[in-house]
This record gives sequence, C-alpha cells and structure tokens, in this order.
Amino acid sequence: MQPLHARYPFLQSARDAVEEAAVDLGEVVATDEVVVERARERVEWAITDGSVGDPHRRTRVELLSYPVARVLVSLVDTPVCTRKYAQAEAEAARERFVEEFTADDSFSYGDSESLSLSALLAEFDLTAAVHETADRYRIDVGTYLELAADQWGDEWRLVNRALTDGEVPVTTEELHTLLKQAIRHRIDDGLPFEVPDAIADELDAEVESIQTTLSDLDLTREIDTVVPDLFPPCMQHLLDAVQKGEHLEHHSRFALAAFLTSIGMTTDEIVELFQVNPGFGEEATRYQVDHIRGDTSPTEYSTPSCATMQSYGDCKGKDDICEDEINESHPLNYYEYRLDETDDEEVEDWRENEDEDDSEA
Amino acid sequence: MEERTQAYLRGRFGDHYRRSEFTPPPDANEREWGFIPWTDGPSETMVRHRSLLDLGELGEFLQRKRPKHVYFSAGRYRDPSASSMSAKEWRSSDLVFDLDADHLPAVELGEDSYAQMLAKCKDALLRLLDFLENDFGFEDLTVVFSGGRGYHVHVRDSGIQQLERDARREIVDYVRGIGLEFEQLVDEETVAGTAGRSSPAQKRTLSTEGGWSRRAHRHVMSVVDDLLERDEETAIERLREYEGIGEGKATAALSAARQNYDRLAAGNIDVHPAFFQIAKPLMTEVVAMDNAPIDEPVTTDTNRLIRLPGSLHGGSGLEVQRIERDDIDEFDPLVDAVPETFRGHDITIEVTDGGPVELGGDSFTLEPGIGTYPEHVGVFAMARGRAEKGPE
Repeated sequence: MQPLHARYPFLQSARDAVEEAAVDLGEVVATDEVVVERARERVEWAITDGSVGDPHRRTRVELLSYPVARVLVSLVDTPVCTRKYAQAEAEAARERFVEEFTADDSFSYGDSESLSLSALLAEFDLTAAVHETADRYRIDVGTYLELAADQWGDEWRLVNRALTDGEVPVTTEELHTLLKQAIRHRIDDGLPFEVPDAIADELDAEVESIQTTLSDLDLTREIDTVVPDLFPPCMQHLLDAVQKGEHLEHHSRFALAAFLTSIGMTTDEIVELFQVNPGFGEEATRYQVDHIRGDTSPTEYSTPSCATMQSYGDCKGKDDICEDEINESHPLNYYEYRLDETDDEEVEDWRENEDEDDSEA
Repeated sequence: MEERTQAYLRGRFGDHYRRSEFTPPPDANEREWGFIPWTDGPSETMVRHRSLLDLGELGEFLQRKRPKHVYFSAGRYRDPSASSMSAKEWRSSDLVFDLDADHLPAVELGEDSYAQMLAKCKDALLRLLDFLENDFGFEDLTVVFSGGRGYHVHVRDSGIQQLERDARREIVDYVRGIGLEFEQLVDEETVAGTAGRSSPAQKRTLSTEGGWSRRAHRHVMSVVDDLLERDEETAIERLREYEGIGEGKATAALSAARQNYDRLAAGNIDVHPAFFQIAKPLMTEVVAMDNAPIDEPVTTDTNRLIRLPGSLHGGSGLEVQRIERDDIDEFDPLVDAVPETFRGHDITIEVTDGGPVELGGDSFTLEPGIGTYPEHVGVFAMARGRAEKGPE
C-alpha cells in the first residue's frame, strides 16, 4: 500500500493493493475502529462540507477507510447521500491531482509516488480520446459528451464549442474538470451495493450517525423556494393542466397541492398560481389546500411518492433525473436535486417575480 | 381504403419483396422489430417487440407478411423481444436523424408541391451532413430516403453508441444551433493598450478553428466581401439595415472593414465598436441559414423505431432507399425511389381525390373517376388514399 493509493483510493492499483494485502473487510469493520471512524468522517464531511476531511496520517487507515466509506454509503442508501459522497470524493481527488500536476519538482512525491496526467488518462481509458496540442487539449466528441453532459453552464454546451473533425478543444482547467467527472462516475458506479449482514451489523452506529447528519441537513435546508421550471415533470404536467383549466381528478389535484405546500407555498400563493385558469374554483382550492396543510383537518398530508404517483397514473414525462438521480423515489427529491444542481444566482423564486409584476401593474 | 385496394397493394408489395435483394442493417438480431399490417379502417396498430427469432429471415418475412410499414430499432438489446424496455436490457444505440418536410421552416405547407418539399428537405440534408461529417467527423453514415416526406441518417460510429439521452440532446442542439450564445463564441482577450492608449483593450475574436464559431466567422466574411464589392452608397445602405446602425456607424464600420481585412479574416471582429455591433445580429442569421431542423425526439430516443431501408412505405408505395454518399446530389426521390416492380405497365384505378401527381420523371393529372395510369402512379395514389383499385 503506497501513499499514492491512499490519496487516490479509487484507482485500480489501489483496489489491487487492498486485495493483495488480503484485507478482510468484515474483520476491519469489526476490529479496526480507526478505519471505521475515518470512513464515517469521509461520508459525514461529504454531506456537510462537500469535502472528505483531512487524510489520516497512516496510509493503511486512509486507504482502507475508502472501501468502508462505500459500504456506509450503501447502507445509508439515500440518493442525496450517494450523490454528495461521490461529488466530494471526486472534488478531493481533483484538488490533489491539480496540485500534483502543477507542483514543481521539490514538492512532488517522486516519480512512482505522484499521479501524472497520462497515468490518470490511462486509468479511465481516455488516452486515445484526449489529444494534447500546443497550448491545450482536444477531446473526442463522444467522450466529451459523456463527461460534460451533466455539467452546468453555457460554456459546456457543445453548440458553443469549436467542434471540428470530431474533436472538442478544451483548456487544461476544463480537462481537469472533465477528469473529475470521470472519477465521479467511477465512484458513483455500483453505489449503493448489497452489504452482507455480518458487515452491516458492525456498522449500525455509524449508519445511524450519518442518518442523523443527513436529517439535520434536511432541517436546515427545508425547501422554501418556488421555481416552477425546476419542478419534476409530473408536477409541471399537473400545474399546466390546472392553468389550462383542465379538470383534474381529485388525487391529481391533491398531489399538486401537497407538493406546492411542501415547498413552502401558502394557501394564498397556491390559489394565485392556480388562478391563471379562469374557470377554477377558488373556494374549493382554498378548502383543499387548507385541508392538506392540516388547518381544517387533524392530519397533515404529505406529497405522494413516485410509486403512488405512478399507480394513480399521475407520473408523466419521466426523465433521466427521475430514473437515474432520484431512483423514482419522490417528487420532492427531484425538486431538491434540481435546486441543488442549479446555481443559486439562477434560481429565481416565482413569488419574487409575482411581486415585481404586481408593482409594475 | 377498400378491401380490394388493400388486397391489391399487399399483393404487389409481396411481388416487390420477392424480386428484390434485401440487405438487413448490422446486428439485426440484437434489434427490436415492428411492423404495421394492412388493416381495414383508418386505425393502424403496430406489432412490435419482435426479434428476428420471432420473424424469421427478413427477406422471407417480408415476402410472407407483406406488411404496410416495417421498422427496426436504433437500439441493440440483450433480449429485443422482451415486452418492456427495461427487460430488453439496452446495450447501445445508433444515432439517428430524421428530416421531415413537415417540420422544415423553409417548407410552405399547402403551397409547395411534394417535389418542392423534398428538394428543400435535401438542402437540409446536405447541411446536416456537413455537421455530421465535418464537425463531428462521423465516418459510418447511412443516408436513407424515408419513402415519405424526408430523409433519415443513421450514424453507427462506435464513439456514439453508448451515449445517453442528455448527450444526444447536446448533438441535436448543436445541429439545430439551439443555445448558441454569442458571448460564448467570442473569445475575449485583454491586450496591452496600444501606443497612445493607457488602458488595456479587449480583443474579441471568433475562433476560425471549428464549430459554430467558424460558421459565424465565414458568414461575417461573406458579408464583408459583399460590402467591399459594393460602392460606398449601397454598402452603407446595406449596413443601415441592421438595428441601431445609422449613417455614422455604418460609415465607421465600413471603413474599419476596408482597413482591417486581414485582421477580420483572422477572426478579430473587434476592429471597431460599430463593426462589433453588426457582428452580433450576424450570429442569428447564421443559425437561421446553416442549422439543420431535425426532429429532436427521433435523435434523443435511444429506443426509437425507424423505417427499414429497403422496405416499401405503405403511405406512398415508394421504396425506403439507401443513398450512396456520392449519389445524393443527383438523387431524385420521385424517380429513383419508384420500385422497378411497379414500372412499365398500366392499371385501372378509381380516383376519389383528383389533382396533379409528379412521379417517375413525369407529371400526371388524376381525373376523378375510373382511369388508367402507369402502375407506380396508381400505387402512389392508392397508398396516399386518393384512389381505390378500379375494376380489371
């Protein structure tokens, strides 16, 4: 086990090193508290800080904490946790390799110990797809699209790139961002996986701790943002229907009203949003929304899950985010994901717009 | 369509399939197959989720079943006949483009004849191929006349097989010029102030390397060349057509263009503020001129079924025909896609919806009532629902 493996535990050679050392993961989680502790730290820092925390000074602990962290993420089995974890590991790796690529010799770890760009490209089978030019790089368009498709920002859009003869020119810094994406895909790959009970039992306390961290996070970030453009397709569909004045079944109306309530809209605001439709029944809407909020009933109702939406035929326009990011779990997870992924500056609350319109009118 | 008409067309489709050589697409056994049989009434039901195991040898299947329309999937699957997409287990998909006259902005529906629509569609096809061959550098392209109102291009390069929907949408947006941002195309570089100027200046250039930026640059240069050929007066007139450009700015832009031709040719469009102001609307023009208005869902859907090259289109009686790259310029769908089987003899049809028909290099006028026409014209009219089979 080399320090290089501890710094880049997702490398195939790191995996091989763990295998060669004949480490029994079951035994590690049962006996090696330092490793388990560092693994928990990796995941919790990922959730709260977007980093993986400071490396442990012992190579063995640092390296082994990575597979254990993956086990923890699998046990927690929540899309937001998996996503934040993969993102944080990839970002940590990017910071390290950028530093190593640019370090002058006195700071480098020595040839066998530092990661070179060519080694990293080879690791992800990108050697043939990335071509160095005088001052930058050119990437084969298929590879570019695989790595850049989920990057946000106009500058990543293929239409704005000087694509020629199947190659996209990128700067060094952009190449690093794309490599980070390759790392993220690898870390994401296979997560969450099935964990044998014997291992799971040993990690009950850590999983609980991470779940607490996650739920604390949810409390501090309770959604209070209304951006209809970022709504899940099912809710956009229902909202369109309401605004066009189409008749909605009770369950559909209910689902939409519950969703809008959970993202922080008041009854008045919901009534207002519905009101684009001239034929809508304001009183009925008001009553229904109040009912869902628990104002006129003893129960507070929550937004139906994806499974419920599907069984009522309200799941419409399912897209990649539904399938790949939130695993068809819950419309609110979709919305939260979109909010997370969108630049804060670009998030424009519908209610602020409404106010502006009012003031202009 | 009446039963006798249907029976006739089905029989003649069968004759055609018996006479023609048939080349299936690559990996035919990993694809999903679908077809629409001849049925009474206007409703058509597609039989799909079939594998080659279900259909048997394709040429033989076509001769036996004589379907009205035949389709195969862009996708390859572990189990192509499974009834749901997830059970099929997707492996890869060709990248397919569909140009349909119905969706072309250049086409004036109700005004253009079928031949004119197809000609405009071919212009769009050539623009699409410019993107696919030169920008994307694709090498494995199959160009197909759809048998109806347009063209299909199947790309089978290995680099695109694994792309998911999002990535394919980026390709669609690229060829349609959607999301093109002027600010993104222009490289801004701060250069040291020239003599007499203390503050650093911005140098804004269009990359001539590739992409829309190169297209935009070419367009800028064609406008510049046109201006320089004109006399002062008409050049200024031309420039004043742009919004916000008056006499003063037009004169300044024109003289900047004259004095800085080489810099412009190298991509520097910042030769004068007035010139830069004119460069911006040129981007909108270049998208309108150069984009290929493909039908987005066809390209982004990795499970799409597409008409089978070599089959007959049940709505026209024309062949869904592969076109060699070098033959595209010369290709005339209304001549070259007329199946040999339907040529050289006449049949009797009962025209219900008369009017002109251009086909097989000739023009005909269908007169309402019973009449005798070349078979390919009769088949076309019947397939389009403009006639029924007449008495023998």
